[in-house]
Amino acid sequence: NLMGARLAGSHVDTQEPKTNPLVSLSDEPETLYKRLSILVKGHDKAVLDSYEYFAVLAAKELGISIEKVEKPPKTIERFTLLKSVHIYKKHRVQYEMRTHYMCLELKYLTSSTAAVYLEYVQRNLPEGVAMEVKKTKIERIPEHIKKPVWDTLPQVEEAEVKS
Amino acid sequence: MPFEMRFEPIFRAAAAVRSRSPPDPWYSPSPRNGGARGSSPRAQRVPPGPVPPRSVRAELAGPGPAPAAVGPGGAARRPPWRRGLAVLPGRAVVRGPAGGSQPRPRWGRAAYSSAPAVSGKEGPQQREASVRRRGRTPQFAVPPRTERMAVDQDWSSVYPTAAAFKPASVPLPIRMGYPVKRGVPPPKEGNLELIKIPNFLHLTPPAIKKHCAALKDFCTEWPSALDSDEKCEQHFPIETETVDYVSSGTSIRNPKARVVTLRVKLSNLNLDDHAKKKLVKLVGERYCRETDVLTIVTDRCPLRRQNYDYGMHLLTVLYHESWKTEKWESEKSEEDMEEYIWENSRSQKNALDTLLRIKASENVSNVSKEELLGSEVVTNYRNSVIALKNEGETESNMSQYKESVKKLLNIQA
Repeated sequence: NLMGARLAGSHVDTQEPKTNPLVSLSDEPETLYKRLSILVKGHDKAVLDSYEYFAVLAAKELGISIEKVEKPPKTIERFTLLKSVHIYKKHRVQYEMRTHYMCLELKYLTSSTAAVYLEYVQRNLPEGVAMEVKKTKIERIPEHIKKPVWDTLPQVEEAEVKS
Repeated sequence: MPFEMRFEPIFRAAAAVRSRSPPDPWYSPSPRNGGARGSSPRAQRVPPGPVPPRSVRAELAGPGPAPAAVGPGGAARRPPWRRGLAVLPGRAVVRGPAGGSQPRPRWGRAAYSSAPAVSGKEGPQQREASVRRRGRTPQFAVPPRTERMAVDQDWSSVYPTAAAFKPASVPLPIRMGYPVKRGVPPPKEGNLELIKIPNFLHLTPPAIKKHCAALKDFCTEWPSALDSDEKCEQHFPIETETVDYVSSGTSIRNPKARVVTLRVKLSNLNLDDHAKKKLVKLVGERYCRETDVLTIVTDRCPLRRQNYDYGMHLLTVLYHESWKTEKWESEKSEEDMEEYIWENSRSQKNALDTLLRIKASENVSNVSKEELLGSEVVTNYRNSVIALKNEGETESNMSQYKESVKKLLNIQA
């Protein structure tokens, strides 16, 4: 069986990564996200539960560390309206809107990973469900805040106001 | 003429026409009926509908001959609702029965059909087969796809993307809805509740794993050196917070998405004492004393990038302005001080005064102020007063103050 045999003289490197033709690397440094907080809102708790399972499994498969999964209590917005078009003030009808929440917190993502995960998770967002994503980006102190600029400037009267 | 009877000739004709078509493999009879594919599929089928009367059922017991009817040649593939029209009178295509067994009547409903006159056991069979079906029930009821699904099939090819719930494609005995009195929830066939609710049939765990395996190439690793929050803060002190909103509606824009929050700890910035105090005074409420965090929230620009740039610009300006010392800053009075400073305060003056008078009354040689200030009793007193003023009155502070005063005035009590 020659299928699995390595030919003599061939350089078969088992560590060689299979380069995906769709992946392109760029030189710009990645932005780092310390936290990614995803809050999902919906009217149906069962839908949110299924979505939570999906989002958590997707994060695990992509190697993203999950900090916590919270289920904040639901909010109910109620209002009372008149039942009839004209008069009959004593007869009203009441409506309510229930909003269930699910908060997923991920930590330590690069911008590529965050973009991939968010696009995957947002494309599979069920109808009638809303999402808020809070991204916390961390960065170094820029060069112009390292030292006060007055040291480097020539001695000028303080009439010059720096805006 | 009753309503059904007006259409009876058309249905009967349509039934006759259809019987001529070859058995279509797609329309295979369901296993329930024995799975037999006879030469005349029409004869053995019992289509769903009201059960025919007992007299007719007896005639249906055995396989009967197919009605030898001749219809227009090209009618085999026409949709059900078109077939009847081909046999209306006036069309040249219509031909009488080939056998010519009976003379064609010139009036009555039999005149309008090309099928042979109803006689014997064929008639009731035709009638119940064609007439009892109402509405859109297809003549050959297709068995659902679920019956041909293997247990180990690839489910992600059945539901590759988000799709509505199709009861014929999901091999699960699901019931959903409010149950009938002393009954069970309605089944999945024709169940609107199951179609309305979003389903996750396209996101089963194997499907998710497949997707993630394909997406994994596009992800990058987090730098392993930054494995704790403290290290992140040490190397990357500035935190920028932005919020994205996804919702269904007429517009994908959300005006709250332009808000940018910048957070930085002042201990990470290069500030000296005066600069820090001036910065804290400049920012006012945006600085939190407990956590030493400066928070700048910008939303005055219409775009998020502009708000971010404005936030960084504010930080730069604050930093540089706090290093500047203006002329009027020398007029800072005691009320403007953030914390209590003992040097040049009334407490220091009083203490020095008292000590000098004590020394004078004891007729000790003139001791200089610096010596007194440097002495241990005065430093103790200074520390206790500063602690009292800055931290407030606590048990330990008060006792420390008491001890220092006793030592200062040399009281042994």
